Amino acid sequence: MMKKKSLSELIEELRGNPNVIYWYEIEPQEAKTVPMPDTIDQRLRKALEQRGIAALYTHQYSAYEAIQEGKNIVAVTPTASGKTLCYNLPVLQAIAEDENSRALYLFPTKALAQDQKSELNEIIEEIGIPINSYTYDGDTAPSIRQKIRKAGHIVITNPDMLHSAILPHHTKWVSLFENLKYVVIDELHTYRGVFGSHVANVIRRLKRICRFYGSNPQFICTSATIANPKELAENLTGEPMALIDNNGAPRGRKHFVFYNPPVINKPLNIRKSATVEVNHLAKEFLKNHVQTIVFARSRVRVEVILSHIQELVKDELGPKTIRGYRGGYLPKQRREIEKGLRSGEIIGVVSTNALELGVDIGQLQVCIMTGYPGTVASTWQQAGRAGRRHGDSLIIMVASSAPMDQYIVQHPEYFFNRSPESARINPDNLIILVDHLKCAAYELPFRKGEKFGHIEVDEIMEFLAEQRVLHYSGGKWHWMNESFPAHNISLRSASQENVVIIDISNTANHKVIGEMDRFSAMTLLHEEAIYLHEGVQYQVEKLDWEEKKAYVREVNVEYFTDANLAVQLKVLEEDKAEERNFVRLHYGDVTVNALPTIFKKIKLSTFENIGSGPIHLPEEELHTSSTWIDFSEDVFPLGTQTIEQVLMGISNVLSNLVPVFVMCDRGDVHVVPQIKAAHSGLPTIFLYDRYPGGIGLSEEVFKRYDEIMREVKKVIESCPCDKGCPSCIGVIEEATDNIKQTILAFLDKLV
Amino acid sequence: MMSIKHKLARLKGHIARNEPTHQDETQVSSPAKTGDETIPYFERWLDFGVKPFFFDGEYCLIREVVYPLDYRHGQYHLGELHDVCSMWQQAPFTHPLSSKGHEVSDLFFFDTETTGLGSGTGHVIFLLGHARVYSDRVVVRQHFLPNPGAEIALYQSFLSEVDYTTLVTYNGKAFDWPKLKTRHTLIRDTVPKLPAFGHFDLYHAARRMWKQKLESVRLANVEKEILGIEREHDIPGFLAPMMYFDFLSTPHPERIFGVLQHNEMDILSLITLYIHLSKQILEANEMGGTLEQFETARWFAALGEINAAKEVYEHVAESDMQESIKAKWNLSLLYKKEKRYEEAVEIWKDLFQHSNDSLKMKAATELAKAYEHYFRKIEEAYNYAIQSYEIWKSLVRTYKQKDEEQEYELIKRINRLKRKMKT
Repeated sequence: MMKKKSLSELIEELRGNPNVIYWYEIEPQEAKTVPMPDTIDQRLRKALEQRGIAALYTHQYSAYEAIQEGKNIVAVTPTASGKTLCYNLPVLQAIAEDENSRALYLFPTKALAQDQKSELNEIIEEIGIPINSYTYDGDTAPSIRQKIRKAGHIVITNPDMLHSAILPHHTKWVSLFENLKYVVIDELHTYRGVFGSHVANVIRRLKRICRFYGSNPQFICTSATIANPKELAENLTGEPMALIDNNGAPRGRKHFVFYNPPVINKPLNIRKSATVEVNHLAKEFLKNHVQTIVFARSRVRVEVILSHIQELVKDELGPKTIRGYRGGYLPKQRREIEKGLRSGEIIGVVSTNALELGVDIGQLQVCIMTGYPGTVASTWQQAGRAGRRHGDSLIIMVASSAPMDQYIVQHPEYFFNRSPESARINPDNLIILVDHLKCAAYELPFRKGEKFGHIEVDEIMEFLAEQRVLHYSGGKWHWMNESFPAHNISLRSASQENVVIIDISNTANHKVIGEMDRFSAMTLLHEEAIYLHEGVQYQVEKLDWEEKKAYVREVNVEYFTDANLAVQLKVLEEDKAEERNFVRLHYGDVTVNALPTIFKKIKLSTFENIGSGPIHLPEEELHTSSTWIDFSEDVFPLGTQTIEQVLMGISNVLSNLVPVFVMCDRGDVHVVPQIKAAHSGLPTIFLYDRYPGGIGLSEEVFKRYDEIMREVKKVIESCPCDKGCPSCIGVIEEATDNIKQTILAFLDKLV
Repeated sequence: MMSIKHKLARLKGHIARNEPTHQDETQVSSPAKTGDETIPYFERWLDFGVKPFFFDGEYCLIREVVYPLDYRHGQYHLGELHDVCSMWQQAPFTHPLSSKGHEVSDLFFFDTETTGLGSGTGHVIFLLGHARVYSDRVVVRQHFLPNPGAEIALYQSFLSEVDYTTLVTYNGKAFDWPKLKTRHTLIRDTVPKLPAFGHFDLYHAARRMWKQKLESVRLANVEKEILGIEREHDIPGFLAPMMYFDFLSTPHPERIFGVLQHNEMDILSLITLYIHLSKQILEANEMGGTLEQFETARWFAALGEINAAKEVYEHVAESDMQESIKAKWNLSLLYKKEKRYEEAVEIWKDLFQHSNDSLKMKAATELAKAYEHYFRKIEEAYNYAIQSYEIWKSLVRTYKQKDEEQEYELIKRINRLKRKMKT
């Protein structure tokens, strides 16, 4: 058997690879520590010493001091820098001082909460003080729930439980709410967009309940690197925050490599597929038993890469040592994979951004990204998965032909100099706000003139009273309805119900293998769609839209499916408008009607279109906010066909660029070009939020229009292709020869 | 810019997606007034025998109805509560329904009406009704919340004027009492403390007694099937929240009076039900119904009141109803526990002759065990063991189901007895 190569040998080999176009090294950093403060309880100090913690890293010290001064803090810390001590230390200290003190920990997922409980209980055991810390979630046995409510010093839960189980039953949690000293919000950066906007309102409700019971907790947040941690924490909690970012944890040397696959079709500027390159790179590391994580942008891509890699290294490694990881797997499966990674039994994992979160999988040696993850913040999060405190680690970003990828790898200074994106929430989105006002009114009546966060809510209360949900009497609005509002409100998605995926391959034993939100299901679980799960292909045989069930059967085919969505837009109301050269920019409310139309079958190896079929599903309607750009007639001395192509080209670049500027997922803002918009008859490009009522994304586009348009032009200019390619304006069918020049000339007039 | 009202109207589809709306389009009337001002439709309330209770600028409404002891509700006079209570005083056994040590008027028959069935904080109790039976009359009192802002007055009146120790409810342990605690927690600093209660939850007793017999053990069904109570023009309980919401929009007493009457009936039924259940337990053998007798005996056995259990089982065993065999079997097991093997064997032999196959098999097994270990007659033990196995085999053939563990036990016994016979 061949001798296995070490990571440093593999790194040296990679240096000679002609496709490596940029190599960036992050110097190792020595630990910066401060002696343990004297005020810390002796028992706690001893327990920490036993765990090898005799001093604090600088950021842990600053966090502790700020909290002792009564401040709310947000600590920004990279992966594996000891962030949990930033909150565990002050919390345990407070309980050691006064056993009545209570703390509430919020993690974005159950898995993270479980991790934290195990870690916390280990320390507590060594301290030797009877401190009760429990997770409280859907899996908590009814028999210990009462004990947790009455005697749990540290209650570890997630925002969904707080929203639907704890706050609406606050009278059962009197001892928690009366004595609540600290609220810990870990993974703060995950609370953005719709989810963040919901959670901000859940926290408004939490604070309202605390006030009722006479407590006023301090907030301790931790976040991965984003541009605006302080702002986000302040918006989420409605409290002033002190920022702690003097990271003192040590780290080893990191190599960050940009890898651009070779061009295989010069005129179209098509490069070799990133997926194929990733497969080969991953194979090199895996067969040398170097623990590697591969990130892919979509669930489908995860499954495709997983099956290829498993095939490539099947002689060296069993299939159980290389696993997939993504949303849609059942929790038990995921726990098993996380454990395998920590113990080293699993050598390779292919994941969506699900593993960006702080799920504890230990520190891996190599991270490979299939394409640019979409945001600077997300890229650093994924890169953080590789890296140990001592010794080298390697991060490879393999660019795809997509315009953003090409832009990034060809302008590395853009990536390495740019601060990460901001995370945005809009807690005042009317629909989200009203949802939570109902829950809040259910929890406690609203006094006339009472504010919710900083919002005046009398007008909304009156509306709800007219809807006969509330009743006004004695200067207060009371909940007067038989329903339980929190049950109908999900924090996670716009659509309320998920579609359950049922495997019927074995007639005698149907089983549920996953679930998916309704909007995604329209394009991923329509009948005849190929659905991939753990590397296995399934075909959807029946989608029961009423019952929200998709019945799938295992198949073995050489293609995947891709669905088209037809969209109609109506402008309801215009809030803002601005003039630019040849362009009017608008922001306001629109109605979107979306209807999936057809799906295409695309061959796995060549990406050829090998067939198609219709999709029969009802139309979905969405009221949301949108920014739209309409172009005056005189900028277009062009034929209709050319106008259409110009709009499509620009839209293609926009849909790739906008997520970078407003920090959201690709699907969160839709870009739709129309030659004749229904309301004005003008050529128009719409950008709208995919969530009812909007979450502030398209408004951000409105504000940053000039900056974004300049970037659009830069992307097209700097693309080496001749006539347009998927990396810039996309491949436009029956395009006129000089379409790229036409678009550039057109953009010249605008910018 | 769109006004909030305007936007709300547009987004209504997203906002009002879950709550049922009431179709009633009558105009929303003025809210109820505080103590200094007039109570809406005050005269009409007086007509209904309702009086206000003022507290700290708020008020609630109190309705009192008095019944004579000989008032008949279903198959009993309400006054018969005195009879069963004195029987409990003399009963030779303990029982969860026993009122031993309590005055009759300590029993506090209690039921609520709420705006929703959830256990969260957002559903209000709008009616607290209770009844007590005194030496000369029965008094039903209801405390009604005229608007949701008046809870302090409601609980003040409910908690301060009555002195009660023992609650009698129907599913109050799981529903009414936790609900009351929830509402009380919200205003706990302004009203008297909640007392610690003793609690008779008749729902659990009814379930024990009639789970087999009745399709549903909802109170309405128990009234109809067991207690002989017919309600006329009654408002079904599930409509109560809706009627209360309607009442709030137009606070005319007629809109809610039906709910008060419904609650009153529920409370009277609790008295009748308590009388009936008590008699069923105290005079099991005189009361009809072998099923009830059998369940009563089983309850005694579960409570460890073996003598009481045996007495009732023996009675049921003598009957010719289908419970007789089950009673015999349970009785035999009680004898066995007391090592009264002669009596037990007598029953097992009887069952071995006269019952169905599965009981026959069990009886044969018990006989084999008794002859082997107690009487030490190995041959007889062996015979019963063999017969038990034969019946087991025929059962397997009939039901096409096999319990391997059971077969192993049976064969093991036969082999052991064989060995013993040789020595």
